[in-house]
Amino acid sequence: MSGDFWFDALLGLLLLQLALATILARQLAAAVMLYVVFGLMLALAWARLGAADLALAEAAIGAGLTGALLFSALARQPKALAPAQGPGRVERLPALLLCIASSTVLGWTLWQLPLQPQHSQLPAALEQLGSSGTEHLVTAVLLNFRAWDTLLELLVLLLALLGTRLVAAPEPAALQHWPLARQWSKRLLPLLVLVAFFVLWRGATAPGGAFQAGALLAAALVVLRLNGQLPALRFDLWWVRALILAGVLAFLLAGLLSLWLNWQPEQAVQWLRWPLPLAKGLILLIELSATLAIGLTLTLLVVGERKELRG
Amino acid sequence: MSFALAAVLLPLLAAVLALCWRSEAARLVWLSTLFSLLLALAALWQVVTFGPVSMQLGGWQTGLAIRWHLNELSALLLLMTALIHSLVASYSFSQWRDAGLSADFWPLSALLQAALSSLFLSVDLFNWYVTLELLGLAAVALVLLSGKKALQAAMRYLLLSLAGSLCYLLGVALLYGHYGWLDVPQLAVAISEEPVDHRLALWLITAGLMLKAALWPLHVWLPAAHAAAPAPVSALLSALVVKGPLFMLYMIWGQLAGPELAVTGSWLFLLTGSMALVVGGWSALRTPYAKVMVAYSTVAQLGYGLLALGLMLHLTDPAFTQALFLFVLAHALAKTSTFLAVGEMQLRLGGKRLSTYRGASQTMPLAMFAVAVAGGSLIGLPPSGGFVAKWHLLLPLWQHSQLWWLLPVILAGTLLSAAYIFRLVVLAFNRAKPVSPDFAPVLLPQWLALLPALLVWMLAFASGSLLSWLGG
Repeated sequence: MSGDFWFDALLGLLLLQLALATILARQLAAAVMLYVVFGLMLALAWARLGAADLALAEAAIGAGLTGALLFSALARQPKALAPAQGPGRVERLPALLLCIASSTVLGWTLWQLPLQPQHSQLPAALEQLGSSGTEHLVTAVLLNFRAWDTLLELLVLLLALLGTRLVAAPEPAALQHWPLARQWSKRLLPLLVLVAFFVLWRGATAPGGAFQAGALLAAALVVLRLNGQLPALRFDLWWVRALILAGVLAFLLAGLLSLWLNWQPEQAVQWLRWPLPLAKGLILLIELSATLAIGLTLTLLVVGERKELRG
Repeated sequence: MSFALAAVLLPLLAAVLALCWRSEAARLVWLSTLFSLLLALAALWQVVTFGPVSMQLGGWQTGLAIRWHLNELSALLLLMTALIHSLVASYSFSQWRDAGLSADFWPLSALLQAALSSLFLSVDLFNWYVTLELLGLAAVALVLLSGKKALQAAMRYLLLSLAGSLCYLLGVALLYGHYGWLDVPQLAVAISEEPVDHRLALWLITAGLMLKAALWPLHVWLPAAHAAAPAPVSALLSALVVKGPLFMLYMIWGQLAGPELAVTGSWLFLLTGSMALVVGGWSALRTPYAKVMVAYSTVAQLGYGLLALGLMLHLTDPAFTQALFLFVLAHALAKTSTFLAVGEMQLRLGGKRLSTYRGASQTMPLAMFAVAVAGGSLIGLPPSGGFVAKWHLLLPLWQHSQLWWLLPVILAGTLLSAAYIFRLVVLAFNRAKPVSPDFAPVLLPQWLALLPALLVWMLAFASGSLLSWLGG
């Protein structure tokens, strides 16, 4: 047995244990903390599986931002949140049956998934990588081969924010800001911004890209906000809305521009087909705008308050 | 294809602009729905004249790219989306400030239109997943426009909708893992060449989509969510949103299930469809609230869609495809009218209960007329669109006599729908002690609520060309 095997086995066991501990934790705060650790370990597992893009996203979104979101939800709970009087045994039975049923289906599905897919679009994608305007396969799929999916995903994020605006939470009780944390967040900010743009730039050749960079940017903004160092990002300010829409707008403008450049009479139109010489530039422009949009949207989703969201 | 593309992009641009330029949001989105109606008409004309076309988004080869396919069916559904959106937008534009509808309605409804149009054009399993997510989130956000009272219904809708999406995604992952195709026609070829057991994938996809389309018995979220939403939103949700997953079920079962599996699956659709007709109709008859009644009527009416789908798979008769989509079109128009008129009366008469509608034939005759006319189509009275759809369901069923037990089920469904529509109509004609409106009823919104009902009665005149387009 090699060291790698033992590492993976331990990681797997740790993941299971953390998941169980999260569910069984008596206190919500402890459960949230365990959940954050679970997210970090999951990111490690993705990295071990060779999916660096997923690992980055999981660490930033799954562990970081979701953790912050859960903590800010906890802060808004009424004070006297006694350890919940759980449901009785009889009420738990249907839930238990549902869990067993869904786990069975999930297990069965995983069993059926082929370990080594015999067919996939990978060879075709690798063949076309040269004419996609980027050298990293994941970026090529996201921003060129299946760009329409990505545009719609940006809209999903936008809709999440628009929906959240309608149920914006009340302000939490006044927070006491810890001087040490304030100093830390000032030191952390330039570093995080630098790393975010590095991740974005690297996305052209290696794992990275708009979503991970946006999440890092959001993490920086969330830390600033939680320490009371960021003014309100009010939705009724035009530049806030423009930044939130920047990703979608850049996508649409790039699409319309290429429609115009590719247009030839007597030929069928082709949506989202980047002209080859411009492909790299357009992809970079879209990624940059999407990073800003994702960063701001995630920030507002996590720490947005009623007064700034309703606007 | 260019017109269809424009019909998808226009609402998308309108939504973005409406978010930037908020004071003009209502006008922008309203105009965009009218223009997209013209574009969808042009797309239908293009298909009928020049034949179906495909477009590989990005210009890559099949498999790498997402494919859009525009044929008569998708053009017709695109037109239905644009038509319902323009009708609802015109109604909302005429009274949204009066009715206290939030300005957030406009960008959200435009995004809903873009998502649904894209869904009807796409033939890609993963792209469908993204459009489904978009559709679900837009629908939940729209339900939330009602404020706090809709919170619980919207939350349930969100959670069940996410569960449905995940179920669907799991099925898609299985299919992609085995065959390496997301493009539905190519996947169908791959499955027929090398059949492995793909039952689990198909059942997972079906469960997810049935949850999304609120097909019995997975309809539990629908009545609360549709009843809690503002009237224009309920109209959009009932008329359009549930039709997206139904269309996907039709495409996936029609193309990917082999002949044996199709027969097994058809039993599921026939049984759930029958139950939906009877149980949904019964619940609609029993509820004391007007909008809940209309929402349960959607559950019941979707039963006809399920029956048509099940019969299409069971008897492999393309005539049932015509019945399925005639029903989709007729129900969309009739339900739009019903929800708008009931919402308008609820607003002016000031009450949610059916008893509020006492004497409405006297106090708000136009809106009541709209409900009665649209109800006629829901029951299936000739010559409405509902009648044409039911006729094309019953006629081939009569010829294949082995499924005779469906006839009494359809009869029971029809009687139940007649019962709940007449329950409202009888109350409205009880003029002894009418409930007087809180403030003067305005005529324009009532006319606009009546318009879709008149259109559904005129569907019969267009049924010749509709049938040839849906020829299967």
